[in-house]
Amino acid sequence: MRALLVLFWAFLVAKAQEVRSSIDEELLIPNETESAGSADETCIAEDSSFGLDSGNSTSNDKEDPVEEELLNEALQKPVFFEKQDAIKYPFAEQLTLKPLPRNYMVASFQFQMASNNLSVGQSETDFDAYRHYTVFPKAISPILEYTNTRQLHLRFTHGLWDSESWGQLPHKGSKSGGNGVELWAVIEADSKEIAFRHWVSLANSLSGLFCSSINFIDSERTTYPVSSFQPQGDGGLPVFNATNGLFLIRAALANEPICTENLTPFLKLLPTRGKSGISSLLDGHKVFDSNWHSMSLDVETTCDGNDCKYHMEELIEIVFNVPNTLARAEKPIPKPVKESDLKCDESKPHDNFECFPLPQSKEIKFRLSELFGKQIVGSSLISESPSQICADVSDNWKAYIDVDNMLFATDNNCFSVKENKLHDLYLESDDTTQVTPPESVPLYVSRSLTGYGQDSGGLRTVFKNPGNESVNAIYFEALPWYMRIYLSSLKIESADGLEIEDVVRGTYYLPAIDRERPTHLEYNLTIPANTTIALSYQFDKALLKYAEYPPDANHGFEIESAVVTVLEPVRYEMRTATLLLSLSTPDFSMPYNVIILTSTVMGLAFGTLFNLMVKRLVPLEEADRQASLRPGLKGKVARMLKAFSLKRKKVDEVKKRQ
Amino acid sequence: MALIEKLQRRIIDLGLLPRIVRFLPKLSILCGILGICWLTLLLPLEGQYRHTYISENALMPSQAYSYFRETEWNILRGYRTQIQVLEEKSSKERNEVVASWFQEFGAKTAFYEDDLHGNTMYGVLHAPRGDGTEAMVLAAPWYNGDGEYNIGGAALATALSRFFSRWPVWSKNIIIVFSDDPEASLRSWVHAYHTSLDLTGGSIESAVVLDYPGSNDFFKYVEIYYAGLNGELPNLDLVNVAVHITEHEGMKVSLNGVSEEEMEKRNYFSKMKTMMVGVKKMALSGVQSCYGNEAFSGWRIQAIVLRARGTDGPFDITTFGRIPEATFRSVNNLLEKFHQSFFFYLLLAPRYFVSIASYLPAAVAFSVSFIVATLDCVLKSGASNTPAFSVHNLSAVIGFTVALLLSFALSILFSHWQYSSLLISCNAVIAVLPAIFGRQGIEASHSYQFKSVAFLYLSVVLTSLLVINFALAFGIGLLAFPLILVKAPMTSRQRVKNTILLILSNPFISTLLFVNTFEPQLSGLQLFHRLVQAWQKLGCWTWSVVCIGWLPSWLLVACSGIPMPYQPVGGPSQRLGSSTKKTQ
Repeated sequence: MRALLVLFWAFLVAKAQEVRSSIDEELLIPNETESAGSADETCIAEDSSFGLDSGNSTSNDKEDPVEEELLNEALQKPVFFEKQDAIKYPFAEQLTLKPLPRNYMVASFQFQMASNNLSVGQSETDFDAYRHYTVFPKAISPILEYTNTRQLHLRFTHGLWDSESWGQLPHKGSKSGGNGVELWAVIEADSKEIAFRHWVSLANSLSGLFCSSINFIDSERTTYPVSSFQPQGDGGLPVFNATNGLFLIRAALANEPICTENLTPFLKLLPTRGKSGISSLLDGHKVFDSNWHSMSLDVETTCDGNDCKYHMEELIEIVFNVPNTLARAEKPIPKPVKESDLKCDESKPHDNFECFPLPQSKEIKFRLSELFGKQIVGSSLISESPSQICADVSDNWKAYIDVDNMLFATDNNCFSVKENKLHDLYLESDDTTQVTPPESVPLYVSRSLTGYGQDSGGLRTVFKNPGNESVNAIYFEALPWYMRIYLSSLKIESADGLEIEDVVRGTYYLPAIDRERPTHLEYNLTIPANTTIALSYQFDKALLKYAEYPPDANHGFEIESAVVTVLEPVRYEMRTATLLLSLSTPDFSMPYNVIILTSTVMGLAFGTLFNLMVKRLVPLEEADRQASLRPGLKGKVARMLKAFSLKRKKVDEVKKRQ
Repeated sequence: MALIEKLQRRIIDLGLLPRIVRFLPKLSILCGILGICWLTLLLPLEGQYRHTYISENALMPSQAYSYFRETEWNILRGYRTQIQVLEEKSSKERNEVVASWFQEFGAKTAFYEDDLHGNTMYGVLHAPRGDGTEAMVLAAPWYNGDGEYNIGGAALATALSRFFSRWPVWSKNIIIVFSDDPEASLRSWVHAYHTSLDLTGGSIESAVVLDYPGSNDFFKYVEIYYAGLNGELPNLDLVNVAVHITEHEGMKVSLNGVSEEEMEKRNYFSKMKTMMVGVKKMALSGVQSCYGNEAFSGWRIQAIVLRARGTDGPFDITTFGRIPEATFRSVNNLLEKFHQSFFFYLLLAPRYFVSIASYLPAAVAFSVSFIVATLDCVLKSGASNTPAFSVHNLSAVIGFTVALLLSFALSILFSHWQYSSLLISCNAVIAVLPAIFGRQGIEASHSYQFKSVAFLYLSVVLTSLLVINFALAFGIGLLAFPLILVKAPMTSRQRVKNTILLILSNPFISTLLFVNTFEPQLSGLQLFHRLVQAWQKLGCWTWSVVCIGWLPSWLLVACSGIPMPYQPVGGPSQRLGSSTKKTQ
């Protein structure tokens, strides 16, 4: 009882202190919006060796006197535990927020981590095999080792990236796939067959790990890219066994639904497990309620002499329409607004009954927690560098970090999250049309199905080069075998009178094999400056076997997106939209109906006809006489049987009488 | 002696075969009458038709509350006032203004310029939840099928798109189309969408055309049009969904423009009338004024037209807007394409239908009737007794080939030089020819052979048409039926009768008479102009089918009454007589 009282007293004291200190801090900062400074000036992040490419990790160069005071205040506070040599691991995370035109915003979560040194050439099952996983996920490295994978790239993407208004994809498109799931890997093996076996086993393992249907990847979908998907980087890829070769293998599952169950395994790979740091913002409801989202995972093996390491990068990128998302957080159903809330164009007729709506407001102010429904729960304390939050905004935007209801700003709009407190970001702008200018896209590509009917169709791809330089790009397309394309029907539509030879510089074509291999096409294209061309070709639709149709056969067949890798003038990667191919689909209950009906009709007709042709009508006596007259063994047997039955009848009669 | 032998003997004993042969002409007439009665009298009977039902469970029409109401009306009025102002401008200018509104709420817009059919603007609202491979179309032609400025429809399409853009539920892209008219220019856009447009939104699953001319706030009832070109119909599920939603919102539905008084009735005759109006609409679809759904036929797109009728009434324009809203919500639920419900049906009332198995016998009866007539003619011509390649037998085949070529040439020539009155008078002259030349008397076998080929061909045409385009097959069967009654002109009375029958069954005269009696929209001689237009602009086959499928048979029957210039050796009747003698 006494202990309880003591505890209660201690709690009260602590509470009172907390209240006092917060009041003190507020007093220290006279005008919170004006003062530039961050909550974590006590320690400046200097380690950017394991850096994030944005270059924002080194923070503020200017320090205000306010900060000094803060520092003093912090020093005056009694310190119970000093973290002298906290263990730090190779892990870094960063959240970048970038407003896009038309009130959209891209949030990019970036996580990087590295493994400990690997023992090359030692199998997992060796008696002295030693594995120590720190921040590197334990689930990944055995898979990589079993399957001899040197590089692994996995993409879960969904939605439409509006490159006409949003500009280039994040990271120059290298980190996002086509709609659905995309997987490619570099596998070390001494033959293609073994590489393929490893590939299948890799796909199956990842399927379990990410709760996705990656296990549906088979030879029907697998391609071996020739000029696309080439591994980047200066040093070559490590080969552990000199007699082996490296195989680049790729497959995609178009329009594979991406859902919370795919996000959770992604977060579980992080050392913070989505519990602290920026990953604590990620919530399935919000991530998937976006206009475009992409989750990517890249694991690369890098070697320095005999010391090899895995580097892993996880990215989760989301595009929101900010006003819509905020409105949705407030009112889940976008009901009609109240009459008083209508924003009408004053220059046009408007009254109580009429209102010409104004475009979306240009002013905006919101907190990150309103977008994500959560606040950032502290920093990732085990990482080498603190969690970073950056706002990539133009001058008319203001970005503040909110710690304990206090707002702090920095010059470069980057904030480090250090303490184990709830953090939030506050963004404000009076003109959202002013954003950091999006980088111009070197090439626009759109692809569509053409044609009429169930037996043939066409593919038409439009390439638009908006720039003043001619673009050199590789167009990669893997088409399922049931799209039997005719390369001879390749045609070009061009207003400038370009011929195919002017545009297509090289072709790699591996024809499909039914039920075994997809069509693999790679074009090396040169598209002159400021031109639009359309390449189109025709294909036949194959008839599938009855059992080859998927469960929802009438949905159509998903065709994966084509991949365009721009080589010049800038390196850029993009995907076209996926397509839905409708093949002739049987009415699956009809064969049964037809079989039953025809069998009945056949049976009836046959029975009748057979009877008509074989049977004849004779009187009973005549039939008996003929039976008795039948010669040979048959007749004898018949007579005997008859006699027997007569006898039995007699016996029966006798019995009856008795 | 097997049973079959016994049966055969009995048949011979009774002389059943000659009796049947003698009965054949009557049988063929009976078949025709049966066909007419089946459709008109039998099907509207209780028990012959069925209640409609939603076959695809995913559709769930009207299960979600429709929110296109309240202040959305203010916005709609705001757009409408601006659209009213735009009436004076060219379609291009109009489209540019509307495109700027669309861009404001985040739709991608593009223009499709067609030299012949004007400028078409379309916007794509990309579905946040979907994979962008499927789309639903909302079309609002600037001028509707009757040539009225579609103020309400265009305003609704704009306001609805703005409303849709705020909803996160879409799994299919939404494409909004503003074309000049609901016929050729909309069709030309649909065609371009599947061949050459750069901005696309995936394969189109369904299309709803809005038709609300005038700036009236209120309207009385809703008309739904669904008959596509060439006998194509949208999946019954889509029609059901639209009917269900409309009635759920309290509005009355009229199908294919059935009048208001008729729509209220629910008796035998009203069902019969609604169904026959539907059949007529199907047969003349593309030829009559189009309201927009015809433009989507042929690409596996399920399309309907919603028309608001009446300028006063209990329902406001947002109520009308809730029909496309809820329809889109329903279609949005679909995982697969429309495939569950019927593609071949006749509607007797918004909620009653007959499926193909019930109505097909009506058209089959006509086919059978012509087959029986063929058999009759073949037996009477005595062709079986002459060698297969005799001049006598070949003359009919040659005659048929010539007639077919002539008909084909006519179908092509007429589409370039449209002299309708010349066409009619030529046909009338041909119809009268047998009466003039037939006086000299003609050989019966010649007449029968020509007729047998004619009927056989007509029967083949009808049989191949009856599933694809039931209404057209039935219509041709019905109007060409008098051909069967044409007999060898022995007396002058018979010749007059023949002339009347030939005139009545002439492809052009009979359709003209029919259309002028039953279809006020196509009065006078415009029918032929419209037929050719439908063929050229919409790709409607009716003109070709009438010319190539029906005219050759009619020509042959007409020729059967004209004596041929050559005289076969011996004379067929003698030959017939002598051969019978030989067998005896």
